[in-house]
Amino acid sequence: MKIPHIKRLLSRSKSYVLIVSLVPLQVLADSSTIDKVYDPYVNQLEKELEYRLLHQNDEDKAKDNVQTHKFGAGMSWSDRLFTELYFIGDKTPDDDFDLSAIEAEFKWQLTEQGEYSSDWGLMFELEAERDQHIREASSTLIMLHQWSRWVGTANLTLAYEWGNDIENEFETAFSGQLRYRYRATLEPALEVYWSDATQGVGPVVSGTQRLGGRKQLMWEFGVILGVDSETADQTWKFSLEYEF
Amino acid sequence: MIKNKVILQSRWVSTLRFCVFTVLMNAVSIGAVWAAPTFTLEIKNHLFYPAEIVIPANTKVRLRVINRDDTPEEFESYELNREKVILGNSQTVIFVGPLPPGEYPFFGEFNISTAQGKIIAR
Repeated sequence: MKIPHIKRLLSRSKSYVLIVSLVPLQVLADSSTIDKVYDPYVNQLEKELEYRLLHQNDEDKAKDNVQTHKFGAGMSWSDRLFTELYFIGDKTPDDDFDLSAIEAEFKWQLTEQGEYSSDWGLMFELEAERDQHIREASSTLIMLHQWSRWVGTANLTLAYEWGNDIENEFETAFSGQLRYRYRATLEPALEVYWSDATQGVGPVVSGTQRLGGRKQLMWEFGVILGVDSETADQTWKFSLEYEF
Repeated sequence: MIKNKVILQSRWVSTLRFCVFTVLMNAVSIGAVWAAPTFTLEIKNHLFYPAEIVIPANTKVRLRVINRDDTPEEFESYELNREKVILGNSQTVIFVGPLPPGEYPFFGEFNISTAQGKIIAR
């Protein structure tokens, strides 16, 4: 997850010209924290391949038709620890697809599902930009609570960004999801993303299709509507996960 | 600058309140976990024994699942919202409920044609 810092940077007029010359459009696209709401669960013997797409539409040309693609491969090491490695690429109307960053993710399931009134997990992420000296380390507290067929999930993130091409700073972000467990193949949800430069809310649908044995395909599709001027008017999100 | 600090402090206070509230809620639920009755489910030759388990409705229970086979099995149920792998010749605990009265099917994902069962809450 790339925690935004653009707003603060733009407010500093002295460095504006320098920033514009140093920060390519890809970084602007990454400033959104709209991505995925994580659950706290880890399943033993699990391996997965994942693809995520985020597509922004906005009146501001700098944020319009900007795409972020994430390709991930992950596996669990026990019934508590899951790791995943992502290759992140961006595409803008002016630039072709380019691999822009690599991210490592570690998810730690803290409590057994249903053991307490809420289920808890922790996630640690490390991200490195490829063409710029920008690094980010983040930790996310994951909480999930179930009320009958309704499931509420909250992700609270504290991140630190550093590097030669960025101002070192801490950032916080919140993402949340309220999901209705209608059936395995179709679960509607409402997602919220809130951080310094992202304020968005929107509907998402997801589902799981069994492919026999351990194999299953999970999909998610939705749109997050920006509720402030900094967030893209629409961020379309689509993901596919193949578990085996 | 001062305004930013005030906003930042306000965020941290809100986050702290959220954490304290949820920790207290979970502390309350710990008592319910300790008091949860335990039921045992065994996996042998890719079958569940017993195939039907009757549990009290509206009560959280511990399901102790023992896999007697050499191969792993995955206890899965969309109705129970549970998915848990049990390695060969090992055991685990799955927390179930509280459930309203009804029948809740489960199956073994690695041997779905044979490993079938249901929990009956009454």
